[in-house]
Amino acid sequence: MKKKMEGITRRSLFKVGAGLAAAGGLAAPRSASAGPKEGRLATLIDLNLCDGCPDRAVPACVTSCKAARNAQVQKPVDPIPVPFPVGKKGIEDWSKKQDVHDRLTPYNRIFVQKAEVEVGGTRRTLSIPRRCMHCDNPACATICPFAANHKYESGAVVINPDLCFGGAKCRTVCPWEIPQRQSGVGIYLHILPTLAGNGVMFKCDLCIDRIGSGGLPACVEACPRQALLIGPREKIFALAEERAQKTGGFLYGKSENGGTSTLYVSPVSFDVLDQAVAKGKGKPGFGPAKRRMEDTDGLGRAVLVSPVVGAAAGVAGAMGYLAKRKERVKREEEGNG
Amino acid sequence: MADRILAEQGRVVRHGIVELLEHWTIALSGLLLLLSGMFEMPLAGRYSIDKVPGLAWSSDFITSLSVHYVASVVFVAAALFHVVYHGMRGDFDLLPRKGDLASSWQVILSFFGKGEEPPFHKYLPEQRLAYLGMAFIIGGLIVSGLVKTYKNLYAPDMSLTVLLWATWAHNVFFMLFILAFLAHIGAILLKPNRPMFRGILTGKVRLDYARHRHPLWIDDLEPPRPAAPGPVAEAPLAEATPAPERSPLPEVPPEPLPPSAQESGSGEGGPEGSAVPKSDPGETRQKS
Repeated sequence: MKKKMEGITRRSLFKVGAGLAAAGGLAAPRSASAGPKEGRLATLIDLNLCDGCPDRAVPACVTSCKAARNAQVQKPVDPIPVPFPVGKKGIEDWSKKQDVHDRLTPYNRIFVQKAEVEVGGTRRTLSIPRRCMHCDNPACATICPFAANHKYESGAVVINPDLCFGGAKCRTVCPWEIPQRQSGVGIYLHILPTLAGNGVMFKCDLCIDRIGSGGLPACVEACPRQALLIGPREKIFALAEERAQKTGGFLYGKSENGGTSTLYVSPVSFDVLDQAVAKGKGKPGFGPAKRRMEDTDGLGRAVLVSPVVGAAAGVAGAMGYLAKRKERVKREEEGNG
Repeated sequence: MADRILAEQGRVVRHGIVELLEHWTIALSGLLLLLSGMFEMPLAGRYSIDKVPGLAWSSDFITSLSVHYVASVVFVAAALFHVVYHGMRGDFDLLPRKGDLASSWQVILSFFGKGEEPPFHKYLPEQRLAYLGMAFIIGGLIVSGLVKTYKNLYAPDMSLTVLLWATWAHNVFFMLFILAFLAHIGAILLKPNRPMFRGILTGKVRLDYARHRHPLWIDDLEPPRPAAPGPVAEAPLAEATPAPERSPLPEVPPEPLPPSAQESGSGEGGPEGSAVPKSDPGETRQKS
């Protein structure tokens, strides 16, 4: 398997890009042939193409993701420490439910949602692969108190399982509550397991190791209909716009949460999809997803200028003092003279 | 510096209004930073701190970040003001001097009844050392905090190495800041240091206390009194001079001296008005 992964080359990306382009009646993004590891990347998920793999028990993207990533999750300790003061209800243990594939879990970082909608007067069931959107300015990463979650230059937002304490702050600030916790694993076990931390958070990492070596994310590689595509950001964005325009479709992910690296193209509006999908824990919707950190940006800018303001006030105050002292000395000299 | 003797009140002005404002601005914004910084970790919800009246915001990470930013603006500006303002004025009383480490040890031993305290300048040697330590911690917090703020706003994909350094430095300095704060409070609770607490509240300390414990500082403030008796009026003490025999510190300030015997002074920036009017400006010595 590993060998196969390593064998994925830029050529295979080109193949996928070309295939997708052919399916969409579009020219292949030229830069796709340059390989995805250079520059910022983006992913396109075309809901006109995804059919949820009806011939399989589990969609191919889900199966391949499980196969590629689940080894990252260590076996939890037994018994899992009970978090104080929350109690047993605070434990999130998916280790015995690794087969769950209808929602996000630490062992299921992509799943396919279903939505019954009307498209052009016809009832249709849309299949919607859901996973981390890899936001442009992801609160989940910037607000992590341990820098365990980081956005890389490629655009991939990646949690380091060796640094994560599983406090789930990233899930709280994510508009889609994507990261999922596995209790009983991770660094917190070695510090204060019942008092601080509660496991490790897991989510899609865009298969960063694979794209780093010129390969493709497992889900993209496995998709039999090439409904998922990854490539240079500008090209993918242009392609998504073009497709939406051509089909009279809709885009999601371009401006949500301040912009993301994942664009959905849908034949129906995302308001409709938001109503149509089953939402709940591990099952995100398609809401407007305002970037909440935006509310703090003004104050953040004030923080950045505060050293200058403080120093300027210091200079002004000291100059005033020195001028007064000079005047006093002068007066004293005049008095003495 | 607004240091001057208010003989009629039996007080010495130890801190001017600017210094008091700096201290309390940094202290209060620092405490708010500690609190909101702790709430940047997911503990307020877990430990139901958000159920405490007035702390409902504590489990909302965006709100606690806003509070952290507001406190940072005040804290960082005050810290930079402090460095630039006093640097330009040449106020270096709080910077450590040669021999402070040994003197500090001597002072600590004296707290346990071993030996005598040496005579002090305006600040104790451990205050000067603690100042340097606190400045280092605050400097580290500010630099790492600014890097993290810049990342939040403009560079979420900054170098992971830089970010890890900034984040963990911020966390380590945060813990050091808590320890330094506790040590600071602990120091002021020590009986011999308690008279200084009044100083940081009102700007003034008792004159008898200052004469007893900070004779080198008082020497700087008083004009030479060749005939006056007592240890303060003796030849100025050098840093290394052994502690003179000093009478126990009286608990109650002594009655003010008759005006004829007072050393009075006045200066700018005192927190509580001016000193006793003096007949001859030449008799007043201010440290400026």
